[in-house]
Amino acid sequence: MATHFELPANLTAEALFASLNDKYETHLVSNQFFLKTYYDSFDWRLYKADLTCEFNRSKQSSSFTLINRKTNELVASTILFDVPSFSRQFNPGKVRQTLEPILEMRALLPICTLEGETSLINIVNKDGKIVLNLLIDEFELLNNRLTLLPVKGYNKVAEQIVEMVTKELGLSAVDRPVLLDALKLQGRKPKSYSSKLTFQLTPEMPTDVACKSIFTHLLSAIKINEQGTIADIDSEFLHDFRVAVRRTRALLSQASHVLPEEALTRYKDFFSWLGQITGETRDLDVYLLNFEQYKKKLPAVIRQSINPLQHFLLAKQKKSQKQLAKKLNSSKYMTTLAEWQKYLQAIPHENPPETETQSTIKHFADQRIWKTYKQIIKKGGGIDKHSPPEALHNLRKTCKKLRYLMEFFAGLYPERRIATLIKYLKNLQEVLGSYQDYAVQQQQLQQFSEEMQRINTPNKTFLAMGVLIQDFEVRKGKARDQFSSEFSIFNKSETHSSFHTLFGAGK
Amino acid sequence: MKILALYRIKGGVGKTSSAVNLAYNAALGGYRTLVWDLDPQGASTYYFRIKPKIKGGSKDLMAGKRDLDGLIKGTDFANLDLIPADFSFRNLDLLLDDKKHPTQQLKKRLSPLAKDYDFVFLDCPPSISLLSEAVFKAADVLLSPVIPTTLSLRTLAQLNAFINDNEFKNTRLIPFFSMVDRRKTLHKAIMGEVLADYPDMLKTAVPYASEIERMGLERKPLPAYKDKSRAADAYSELWQEILTQMKT
Repeated sequence: MATHFELPANLTAEALFASLNDKYETHLVSNQFFLKTYYDSFDWRLYKADLTCEFNRSKQSSSFTLINRKTNELVASTILFDVPSFSRQFNPGKVRQTLEPILEMRALLPICTLEGETSLINIVNKDGKIVLNLLIDEFELLNNRLTLLPVKGYNKVAEQIVEMVTKELGLSAVDRPVLLDALKLQGRKPKSYSSKLTFQLTPEMPTDVACKSIFTHLLSAIKINEQGTIADIDSEFLHDFRVAVRRTRALLSQASHVLPEEALTRYKDFFSWLGQITGETRDLDVYLLNFEQYKKKLPAVIRQSINPLQHFLLAKQKKSQKQLAKKLNSSKYMTTLAEWQKYLQAIPHENPPETETQSTIKHFADQRIWKTYKQIIKKGGGIDKHSPPEALHNLRKTCKKLRYLMEFFAGLYPERRIATLIKYLKNLQEVLGSYQDYAVQQQQLQQFSEEMQRINTPNKTFLAMGVLIQDFEVRKGKARDQFSSEFSIFNKSETHSSFHTLFGAGK
Repeated sequence: MKILALYRIKGGVGKTSSAVNLAYNAALGGYRTLVWDLDPQGASTYYFRIKPKIKGGSKDLMAGKRDLDGLIKGTDFANLDLIPADFSFRNLDLLLDDKKHPTQQLKKRLSPLAKDYDFVFLDCPPSISLLSEAVFKAADVLLSPVIPTTLSLRTLAQLNAFINDNEFKNTRLIPFFSMVDRRKTLHKAIMGEVLADYPDMLKTAVPYASEIERMGLERKPLPAYKDKSRAADAYSELWQEILTQMKT
């Protein structure tokens, strides 16, 4: 039985109430103005998890509610006067329990606000027992809605009322949440942002056109995440910003024949600068995101001693983020990015610098992926237990390059086959990434401890940091041991022939 | 799901009003709560303005033809549902007697509801019978209202002995004072004496109050029409005390 209905535009809430009152004994329980604000993360995590999140304020109450948007069932609700930014800041309970695994590090942001008037009406039987609850919501700019809240064991009345409102009064059942209508008013849609690459390439596309379309997509990701990074809403804005910058750099490094040399050098420098100025803040973000995990690694007796490090990191992150924000507001950043955009929008050269601009993107992709893959096999094969850490670091960078290339051009290859190869590569990257991360974190902790010596830190804190450094050392060692087995999986002849089948034309 | 039975051999001790008001308090605290009115007189059903009738009567229910879930009625209060009484419940003893394991029957019928409710309150008829034994078997807690008189204390001792002798080991007897008139010296004297003998006896006592008697006119749980009263406070404190006791 449907429980949500939309009133036709010409039927007022009063008229609906009057019609119900003619046939049933109705009690108007309350009638009040409300302000309903929908919340979600920037990347629509709640919506993707089939939830709508409403913050409802009226004269008498203020509540925060999670509803399953497919079944309209209430998932969790709590009384709340201000919505915290992060799920971890909610009081313990069902709301927080539901939000935490979905939102993780992402902040809750207001999506849109609706104003209106809501009436709660009871329908009672001759014993004065409530047999059905009704909500009529009147919106300023949307069609009004009727919601039935049936009482268990009294379905008959609900069924009669459904029949009456649909057949006699012209109401229609709706299953889409009001949120969708509210967004539509603003010309928006849910899930409008995703950090995934979503452009369409066709194999015959000229290389320069295809590359420009990828660059344009990445530029828009940079711009979308720029304000959130400056405002430091949550750490994912900077993360996605940096990914887009790195992807741009990866493609620029392959595009020497696509872009004129002068432009290439200029933008390579610019994006490398962007990578540099955002690096420190991101490193600190990672530290803070993992802090609870680090804490758990410590023996219980010294666990609390590590807290001064967290305060130190928070202060340092704040300072570093401020500097970063300043740079993202600088004229260097704004002008160069605007010029890059202009450059991408410009009509392709009439006399391209090299003939390759006229080759197809499929040919270009085959060639670059195959070449990079061969480099990995060669570099990885040369690593043994005596190789210096730089060799692994170097291999990691090449793997990253290959990963980006495969992701850029995934649409040109059979979906499942390229996905399998990306998965193999990802496993190898994970080992290399862990090795590098532990090494860097170890080094940074040492550096932090030097800085903290200047600010009156208790000795216990250094002791706890020492335990962490030791723990990183052990983990780094494990990752290094894992490398050879992971590389041999990647280097299997089956994998090799799969790479050859997909990209071998680029030999 | 915890099952709490309001039970007393004797009638007129404030059993039904306690079942209704304690269940109301549980629901108010956000617990999903169900009251099962097992008393054919149907007083708790009446308090919720629900018809004292179930489809197929007790016969269908005991024959396993109907699930309890299909008999549940929502009350006018959030989180609070009721299984109404039916006049045929007067024959429950006979129907139980025909069953293979008569004392297991209530527990068996209730078990499918475990995922839907946090607390079930059984409002039991005043008697000692096969049905009472089935209640003792099903209940985690036996809440027994006691009017502070000498005779009541004797009955409480009997009930205590019965529970201990008949292997209802998983059932915990928690008595509490009901219909207490503090002006009566006898009530005061007996309460003092009992608290020393029964450590499980709850500290909160439900007073004798005219506002409780008005439940029959209002047809609502007491806090729903008079939440600022001594009696309403007593039920709320009693519920908190029961919650704490159940945790120990």
